[in-house]
Amino acid sequence: MVLRSIASRMALWVLAGSTLVLAAIGVLLLSLTRAQILQHTHREAAALAASAGSEIQARIDRVAISAQMLATIIATRQDSAEPLLRDTLQANHDIDGLAAVFRPSSSPVDAPPYSPFVNRVDNGALASRDLSSDARPYWNSNWFLGGLSCSAGCWQRPFLSLSRQRQLINYSVAINREGRPVGIINADVTLDWLHQILGHLDKPEGAYAFVLDSDGDYLAHDNPALVGKRGAPALLEVLASDQAESVRLPVAQNAQVHGAVWVYSAPIEGTRWRLGLVVPEAQIYAGVRRIFLWSLLLGMLALLGVALIILLTIRRTMAPLGMLADRAEHVARGELDFELPSTSRHDEVGRLTQSFDQMRHELALHLQDLARVAREKQRLASELEIAHQIQIGLLPSEHYLDAVCAYFELHAALRPARAVGGDLYSYFMLDPEHFFVMVGDVSDKGIPAALFMAQTITLAKALAPRAQTPRNLLQLLNLELCRGNDSCMFVTLLCGLLDTKSGNLVLASAGHEPPILCGHGAPQLLDFTTGAVLGLYEDSDYPEHHQRLRQGETLLMYTDGITEASDHHQQMYGIERTLGSLAQVPPAAPTAGYIERLLGDVDRFVADAAQADDITLLALTWHGAAQVDVEVCVASQLADVFAGLDRCEHLLQEADVISSLRSDVRLVLEELLVNTVEYGYPDGRSGQIRVVLHPGPETVTVELIDDGIAFDPLQSACPNLPGDLADREQIGGLGIHLARTVTSAMRYTRNAHSNHLLLRFIYPNQDGSSS
Amino acid sequence: MTLSLHSNFSAPDRVVVQVGGRLDAMTFGELDEAMLVLLPRLDVGGTVVIDLAGLEYVSSAGLRSFAKIRKSMRARGGHTLLLNPQPQVRKVFDIVKAVPVNEVFTSTQELDAYLDRMQRQITEGDSDA
Repeated sequence: MVLRSIASRMALWVLAGSTLVLAAIGVLLLSLTRAQILQHTHREAAALAASAGSEIQARIDRVAISAQMLATIIATRQDSAEPLLRDTLQANHDIDGLAAVFRPSSSPVDAPPYSPFVNRVDNGALASRDLSSDARPYWNSNWFLGGLSCSAGCWQRPFLSLSRQRQLINYSVAINREGRPVGIINADVTLDWLHQILGHLDKPEGAYAFVLDSDGDYLAHDNPALVGKRGAPALLEVLASDQAESVRLPVAQNAQVHGAVWVYSAPIEGTRWRLGLVVPEAQIYAGVRRIFLWSLLLGMLALLGVALIILLTIRRTMAPLGMLADRAEHVARGELDFELPSTSRHDEVGRLTQSFDQMRHELALHLQDLARVAREKQRLASELEIAHQIQIGLLPSEHYLDAVCAYFELHAALRPARAVGGDLYSYFMLDPEHFFVMVGDVSDKGIPAALFMAQTITLAKALAPRAQTPRNLLQLLNLELCRGNDSCMFVTLLCGLLDTKSGNLVLASAGHEPPILCGHGAPQLLDFTTGAVLGLYEDSDYPEHHQRLRQGETLLMYTDGITEASDHHQQMYGIERTLGSLAQVPPAAPTAGYIERLLGDVDRFVADAAQADDITLLALTWHGAAQVDVEVCVASQLADVFAGLDRCEHLLQEADVISSLRSDVRLVLEELLVNTVEYGYPDGRSGQIRVVLHPGPETVTVELIDDGIAFDPLQSACPNLPGDLADREQIGGLGIHLARTVTSAMRYTRNAHSNHLLLRFIYPNQDGSSS
Repeated sequence: MTLSLHSNFSAPDRVVVQVGGRLDAMTFGELDEAMLVLLPRLDVGGTVVIDLAGLEYVSSAGLRSFAKIRKSMRARGGHTLLLNPQPQVRKVFDIVKAVPVNEVFTSTQELDAYLDRMQRQITEGDSDA
């Protein structure tokens, strides 16, 4: 947690880095200092050793000179040897004992010569005796024989004087008379002074000194245990030369000293002794190490202090950054309303704070914008969805089955490429015998196309009753669509009118894809002449194509969304594939089978390529006349009318139409037929009136077709009904009024030469009578 | 089914005509002819009661016949009363408002009561005069 803050991390790194640098420098300094200190120590120790060597030499020289002088003097004054010895002994305290021994004469009869030996006794007095009277004659002993050959004097091996319990060393010098040694002067030198000299040397702390004799044995040593012992081989090897030497030994011979030692030695002139000064290496560096440790400690303390200062400074400097980091987390959560640290500073942190504040404001604005855009987008999407629903609502159901006698069946499918599209289909019963059907495709796609499609479909429905034929409808529709069509949008439309009694189909096309007739043999393209597209040219004409549908035949209408459906390679589905696909449908297939087959094949062809255009398919199957309509033909004679009325009533009775409805139908038919017979043929010609009855389970529909003069009963004025017919001057118009009132619905159309009146009676009819 | 007619003079000033069957453009002439014979035999100020119990069907032609009868009766100061119209007839009457409601009776009792009342009025009127 602590290490997460930049301040503590930086302080730590500074501390670590500085420590490293400090240690490196320290080590470098230490090594340099060590070399210097070592050199210094070498010089000092060498000087010390040399001076000690000189001192020892001086003492030895005194002994040697005294002995040599004695030898010289005694050579001529043998008799006064003892007093000389005594005087010398008194003068030189380093000498413990002096002996002047002489070689006995060659004749054995002569008494051995007086050979005095003077030595100090414990109380400091001098004692003397004659060595020639000793039990063991000296002249055969080694020290005497060796001494005779030392005319210049030589140091013997140290020995332990048993009589005096001291370590002694002899200096022998031959007494020469007439060129030949006649005896020797032997000086016993105590080594105590040597120890004293070594002990009083101004040695560095922990150092010790020693003196080695010519054989490599310790003559003297600060550690008395080593006196008389042999020096270590490594030491002896180094000390073999006569030069002053300094050598480093990994292990000291002295058990009192641990670790490596430096040995400084100096030869003592006149002897073959060597003085050695041993300084433990640890001792040499002790001072510098202490100083180094102290420096390190102080340095570390200083660094700690620096680190602390850095920590505090950075903490203080970065405090606003911490707050900014905290605020940035707010921003991440979408909370933009917060306090920022004051921005009086002009450094990076100050600038960062200002930028942060600015960013916060910009972000807030941006978020607002974004939210607004999102709302706008959502609103558009929702509007588009509503538009989609409305457009779907404009289309009739995808399935229509002729409810009256199931002569025909219709299936349709519309699949917009976008939410809304420009394709359309529509169908409706124009009258009980005629079924209008159309399929169209508006140029362009999307909302403009959808609006144009809505206009087209609405206009078509509104104009159809007036137009009555596909040709008229397309003309009327074209005129309406041309009006105010500044954007020059257009629609191709295929329009069909099916006579639901006969299966006769009248087609007219405004630049639309030709329909396909399926069901008997191979699918057949009905490629008839089409007019111009709707909405561009006001004076367009639309030729009609007549086609009689046979039982089981299906007329397939479609838009170019089918033929121009493209796969990944921009290859179009085309009319050949369309015909091929439809040929696969078995002849007795249901109407929906054609749609499913073709759509499925197109989907497989397109695979996962995007749908580029709206797709519309409409299949209309004619199931043929299953039952012949009840039709009564009436000549334009009154008697014929009533015979016909009786037949009608009989037929209705056979169809189980209830009696009240039967009498309603009879009343209406009588009124209308009598009216037609009386007024329809003023020129006296004989006419033909057809009455077609469609008795249904819920309604009875009656068609009245006559070839008389045009007469629309719906247009005749309502008679004045004062409440008593006897009050009326002219008793006319009652029949038409009765007929209109009793009929549930009445529709009049005038074809080329005939009046067509459609009447509908709905069960129960009791309500209709009062209206 | 064609038209059937029966007339019965219950009094010199009252004739009951029973009309049955179908009264339409085919048959209304029969009724018109019969009434041309019957009505002059009735006293002035007499009453014609047309019993419609047997009439199944009437069309506008029949209505015109009834209107003619009522017109000529009115000219002779008499009354025309309709008795027992069947549903279809009543419906047609309703649609064209053919006759005043108070001249249509659904039963003989109702008619008799009406006639008695009328008789009294006449008698009282005479005495008043």
